[in-house]
Amino acid sequence: MKQKKEYMDLAVYAAELAKKSGADAAEAYITDSNEVSIDVSNREVELVNSSSDAGIGIRVLKDQKMAFGTSNDLSKSSIKDMVLNLIHKVPFHTSDEFNVIPGKEFGYLEGDWSRYTDLLSYDPKIEAVSVQDKIKRAILIEASALDYSPKVAGVMRVRYLDQESYAYLANSNGIAGCFPTSGCGGFANVRAVEGNDSQSGTQFGIKVKYDDFDPVWVGKRAAEKAIGMLGAKPIKSCEVPMVVSPEVGTPLFGYIVGMLDADLVQKGKSLFADKVGERVAADIFTLVDDGKLKGGLSTNPVDREGIPRQATPLLVNGVLKTYLYDCYTAHKGKTHSTGNRTGGSYRSIGGIGSTNLYFPQGEMNPEDILKGIKDGFYITVAFGLHAGIDDISGDFSIPAAGFKIEGGQKTYPIRGINIGGNLFDFLKSIDRVGNDMTWVQSIGCPTFSVESIKIGGV
Amino acid sequence: MKQGKSNQRQMTRREFLGKGAIGAAALGLSPVLLNTLLVSTGCKSGGIGDLIISEDILKKAVELLMARGADFGDVFIERAAFDTVFSDDRKINTSTLIEKGVGIRSVKAGKTFYAYTASFEPEEIYETARFVADAAAQESATDAGPVITLTRQTAELDFPILPDPESIEAQKKIEMLQGLTDRAFSADRRVTQVSQFFREIIRQVNLATSSGKIIKQTLGLTEFYASTYMKDAEDNLQRGGDSRGAFAGMDFFTGENSFEAIVDKSVSRAKGLLEAVDSPRGAFPVVLGPGGTGVIFHESCGHGMEADYIYKGSNFAGKIGKQTAAKGVTLIDDGTIPLMPGSFAYDDEGTPSQRTVLIQDGVQRNYLCDLVWAEKLGMESTGSGRRQSYRYAPIPRMRNTFIDKGEIDPKDIVANTKRGIYVAQAGGGQVDVITGNFMMGVTEGYLIEDGKITRPIKGATLSGMGIKALETIDMVGSDLKIFPGAGRCGKTQAVPTGFGMPTTRVRGMLVGGPGVAWEDIEGGAA
Repeated sequence: MKQKKEYMDLAVYAAELAKKSGADAAEAYITDSNEVSIDVSNREVELVNSSSDAGIGIRVLKDQKMAFGTSNDLSKSSIKDMVLNLIHKVPFHTSDEFNVIPGKEFGYLEGDWSRYTDLLSYDPKIEAVSVQDKIKRAILIEASALDYSPKVAGVMRVRYLDQESYAYLANSNGIAGCFPTSGCGGFANVRAVEGNDSQSGTQFGIKVKYDDFDPVWVGKRAAEKAIGMLGAKPIKSCEVPMVVSPEVGTPLFGYIVGMLDADLVQKGKSLFADKVGERVAADIFTLVDDGKLKGGLSTNPVDREGIPRQATPLLVNGVLKTYLYDCYTAHKGKTHSTGNRTGGSYRSIGGIGSTNLYFPQGEMNPEDILKGIKDGFYITVAFGLHAGIDDISGDFSIPAAGFKIEGGQKTYPIRGINIGGNLFDFLKSIDRVGNDMTWVQSIGCPTFSVESIKIGGV
Repeated sequence: MKQGKSNQRQMTRREFLGKGAIGAAALGLSPVLLNTLLVSTGCKSGGIGDLIISEDILKKAVELLMARGADFGDVFIERAAFDTVFSDDRKINTSTLIEKGVGIRSVKAGKTFYAYTASFEPEEIYETARFVADAAAQESATDAGPVITLTRQTAELDFPILPDPESIEAQKKIEMLQGLTDRAFSADRRVTQVSQFFREIIRQVNLATSSGKIIKQTLGLTEFYASTYMKDAEDNLQRGGDSRGAFAGMDFFTGENSFEAIVDKSVSRAKGLLEAVDSPRGAFPVVLGPGGTGVIFHESCGHGMEADYIYKGSNFAGKIGKQTAAKGVTLIDDGTIPLMPGSFAYDDEGTPSQRTVLIQDGVQRNYLCDLVWAEKLGMESTGSGRRQSYRYAPIPRMRNTFIDKGEIDPKDIVANTKRGIYVAQAGGGQVDVITGNFMMGVTEGYLIEDGKITRPIKGATLSGMGIKALETIDMVGSDLKIFPGAGRCGKTQAVPTGFGMPTTRVRGMLVGGPGVAWEDIEGGAA
């Protein structure tokens, strides 16, 4: 994707204009992105949505007060109106001594950010490939599912999508630069039928590089999963050991890292507050955020505020080491930003978030984890996490599907049950860790097991 | 994708999209867009005021769009302002989001081609229309397109937004949030943190269709969320929340929908959770209280009745005229109810909104259709074609979905339940439309013991299979309430939807929770 000098100049113009108009400091962030999304059904196109989007988000700091506005009108006159409107509004806001727009003293990555190629998640091929070829890929996802087995009765949704974006950041304290990102992927939601039984299987796949995304694998895996669930039935309520597949584990760690946001911690909204240095998880559990991970989907040179990305061990052998910080929370907590201000599009003021988050793999083959379990549950689908997890108390009850474990072997499929517990207890009960590190979008973990889980069934 | 002779070049994305997102001389918006939007529309839905883009430009764009043989198409123009005041950690801040764009769609043989531009410059709009027309073109198409006569439509429905958001000073809203924040903090000694936000959204929309319609409407949504955090002496931390979202202005927020009532509810929910017992697990009777708990039918049945899912074989496919719910159960999706978040005069492809009876007395009567999927199913559009914004093509969606009222006194429903749970408010939910497997979180729930509502519970989730849940409803109360919730339904695009139901009992529903297993409960078997 082409770097546009006029956008870099506009961001600098907006930040300087705000400063000239009376702000103590200001920051402008422009994103310019292209997206293609293709839905197919019955081996034909259903919808092609091809779009480009650019806009600006501006933060204005005056007398320790911060105001934010965004627009997708990038004319100079519109930007000027917006800046003046923000300057007009900012006095009504509440002052906060920790509000900050960073300067170079916060740690600065010199030079053109787009030249740090090791730190870019970007593939120029995504732009070069024609829409027709992308349509072929979308059709291939579906065909790989439909042709997998006669038991595959159809698909509910199959989509190919890609995005590339250029971010331009400038603030009045001398931080300025730009860099590109991209991603490409797809998913299939497949229906398998046998007799009166209808089962679903879903597979997502997303990669930085166009050639790394495998549409055939996505289609086949979705079909395999749907067929694997044929004949699934509920089990009775019980309390048994549970093996967790990476596809279920990764989103759960997404909720855990959400509670390690320094802003929530400082405002008393996280139960991880005041626990640094304490044991909060099993000693075989470690959790690392790494914004510089080579080839990572969320690897960037700098964060949303222009602070260099870094690797941050959050929990090491079960002990809480630190939280994720941006400049505001670092200022408040008298520490350094960990470069975790995130926020993809200009429309968002951003917030603290993880980059590439992972639970490092252990030594065991996943089959050996199962072998140690006489009677247990192997969870492969967790459903409605956003409604089933209380991300404050950590209490959860989640409808689930997976397989029965009997005598160390995976046996029949299970659907129509629920797992219940508390995430803090869950972390403490992790007892075996596999060697099959798997990334699901920007979160990675291996297969692992917990000593015991409460299952609600019929 | 078939292409015409004049379109032999490879359409790389740069070309397909090479519409330079931004026109340098885009239609100037005033410093305060809200004001512009409201002044130019008179705050009315579907009136005959000025269009965002003049009629002759719309006409030319639609003609270009149809010039290459598309079956139908439309040009959707939008400008929107999102104004938010939020309170967190006793600090009040604001944000303003302004956006505008033109989304252009062509449909050929059931295939949809879509692109958008952020520019209101005529040449940019024409160029986008040409690309979308080309994408849907056939070899045989000639460049002599049809002449289309556009006629402005007059809406029968009107959803006034009162008072005019622009008449309320930002400072006033900030003071209001300060007062509401103080109210939450002073409600209980255990309150440790308060977050609230108040958001006004105004979307001015123009639509020109190849069938010759011009629609102009203003869509509005005013939302308020309150979260209260409480911590007890044992270090238990809980958050209670409540929210409303209405297609209306601040005047809507009175009585049980008042800002104060919403804040008080967030406090009482946090309190309830601190005192709650872990929800029991297993299969037993669930009594759903009136109102927002209706989200359970949005998830368990509503999605499965959307035409795109029906066409692809959802668990409600092929059920018209057949029994899909217990006798006495009527399910309605209604986009015409004043003040509700899922209401509008026209859907986003120009079909007037309507009240659609999906299930009548247990029998499936209709599905939710937009134009594209109605044609595939050989049905009529139900005015259910909705889009999140100009960035998206319309798809079949729900509006305000509810179970209609029955005849039983709600008190009798609880009194006749020996052991079970009572759900007063639902969190979000999800459905797998293939299996019909759905779930819903419980944000306020209680145990029912010996026919009485007793202790609050935490960590409960309801799940089940769509049609089975409808079939196992055994009592429907007389107290229908439609709830203006502030959530969004996220079927690949986020749109506001309303939910409702009267007090209703479902037998043998799977309840998940971190508590004890309940077995052999009366009414436990479905």
